Amino acid sequence: MITFDSVVKRYANSVAVDHLSLEIKSGETVILVGPSGCGKTTSLKMINRLVEPTEGTISIDARDTRTYDVNDLRRSIGYVIQQVGLFPHQTVAENIATVPRLLGWTKQRTAARVEELLDLIALPAAEYARRLPAELSGGERQRVGVARALGADPNILLMDEPFGAIDPIARERLQNELLRLQSVVRKTIVFVTHDIDEAVKLGDRVALLSRGGKLEQFATPEELLAHPQSEFVTGFLGEGPLVRRLALIPISDVALPAVNGAAPDASVDAGGTLRDALDAVLRSAEGTVRVVSGDQTLGLIDADVIRAASMRAR
Amino acid sequence: MSVFQYISENWDQIGPQIATHLEIVAECIAITSVIGLGLGIAAARSEPLSTIIMAVTSTILTVPSFALFGLLSIWFGLANPPVIVGLVLYGLLPVTRNTRAGIKAVDRAVVESARGMGMSPRQVLWKVELPLAVPVVLGGIRQATVMIVAIATVGATVGVDDLGQTILSAIGRTTGTLDAVLAGILPVAAIGILADLILAGIQRALSRGRVSVAAT
Repeated sequence: MITFDSVVKRYANSVAVDHLSLEIKSGETVILVGPSGCGKTTSLKMINRLVEPTEGTISIDARDTRTYDVNDLRRSIGYVIQQVGLFPHQTVAENIATVPRLLGWTKQRTAARVEELLDLIALPAAEYARRLPAELSGGERQRVGVARALGADPNILLMDEPFGAIDPIARERLQNELLRLQSVVRKTIVFVTHDIDEAVKLGDRVALLSRGGKLEQFATPEELLAHPQSEFVTGFLGEGPLVRRLALIPISDVALPAVNGAAPDASVDAGGTLRDALDAVLRSAEGTVRVVSGDQTLGLIDADVIRAASMRAR
Repeated sequence: MSVFQYISENWDQIGPQIATHLEIVAECIAITSVIGLGLGIAAARSEPLSTIIMAVTSTILTVPSFALFGLLSIWFGLANPPVIVGLVLYGLLPVTRNTRAGIKAVDRAVVESARGMGMSPRQVLWKVELPLAVPVVLGGIRQATVMIVAIATVGATVGVDDLGQTILSAIGRTTGTLDAVLAGILPVAAIGILADLILAGIQRALSRGRVSVAAT
């Protein structure tokens, strides 16, 4: 658990973070999102003390981070940045071994861990372990950056706009991969982005900050999109928040009316979200589509069912 | 009489002079590299310090070599010691300047991720910054080497018995001046080129994956 208690960061003539209080639970992914100058990166860097707060305290599992040796603290926290910052003179394996080496792990243990991590990020060790960062694509570099951050199996992972410099298609793939990774490793992830769609997609909870480091709202993505608490939040969320919110609700969560009589031709896969269902409904001739899983029809869905499900989830 | 004939006839004299020349150059490179590296690191860390270090090391280079050797002989006596001190001082500028530039050229994101993973400032320097700056630092050492090989000949004016003596003793001769001067210059040039080639080879070997800063 990471606790921000009334944290302030003041620079010579500006306030970057203004009395921020947050509680990030173990194993959850919290996204810090907001426009540039909202103090999201500053807040992140205060966790591993790359930036020291002016006032207030940050604690990890109820222990003030200032009571740790700063290098011990950082070695226990994974850190990924947008520019990745892989060591260009070291191979992929050497890069991933950085923190285990700092911690003095044995050669065998380090080598085993490197192999395990390459496996986790789906880059075959035989092919990738000895490559230099310059020989990787942007997306591969970013994955190695994540593996390096997970090197010594830290409980906390800090990610500072990790996918910001990646093209949209590769970015979506990396986002999905992060979700998959997180379902396996269950870290406490603090993730900074300026992209609200990324925030809503990846976060268990989203902390929306405005300029000058004020916390506007801290809520689950569903709650944020359904009930924005201020004008600023509404503005930052952009258009059609409830439609976008449909993408967060899986079809499998919805009680579907059974097929009664002639079933429509159009169908949607049960593995999708309500947004996929709405799209299929709008596309269909009948206004009703079958929800299918393989060859099996599970039920029907139409605009009323989607609306009811959306209301219920609020 | 050709140059090579002159060299072979005077080998008793020129052979040991080549040895002395090599010895002085090797010592000076070693010492100036260590000091220059230290000054370069200090200059990369602190801007005010950098201004002072760069001003001093540049100013030293403006002092004519025989004047500097003469001056240093007041404290260090004649022959090798004042020349070694003087050449070390001359070599500082290229080594210091390149060390500073090499460290400064390391991608800030790389340094930040190193710090963020819990490397101490010393580990960041030795494991990240200096290894990445190696090609640029070696570029500075190459420049210093070529300079030191050439200027070492002036050491003859304060009594060093290196290749400078052969050149110095040829000046003012009525006959055979050209051969005698060349007999001093050719080995000097050979040493300079050889040293540069060796260092260039090392520089290439150590440049794997390094930041591509023009390694001059």
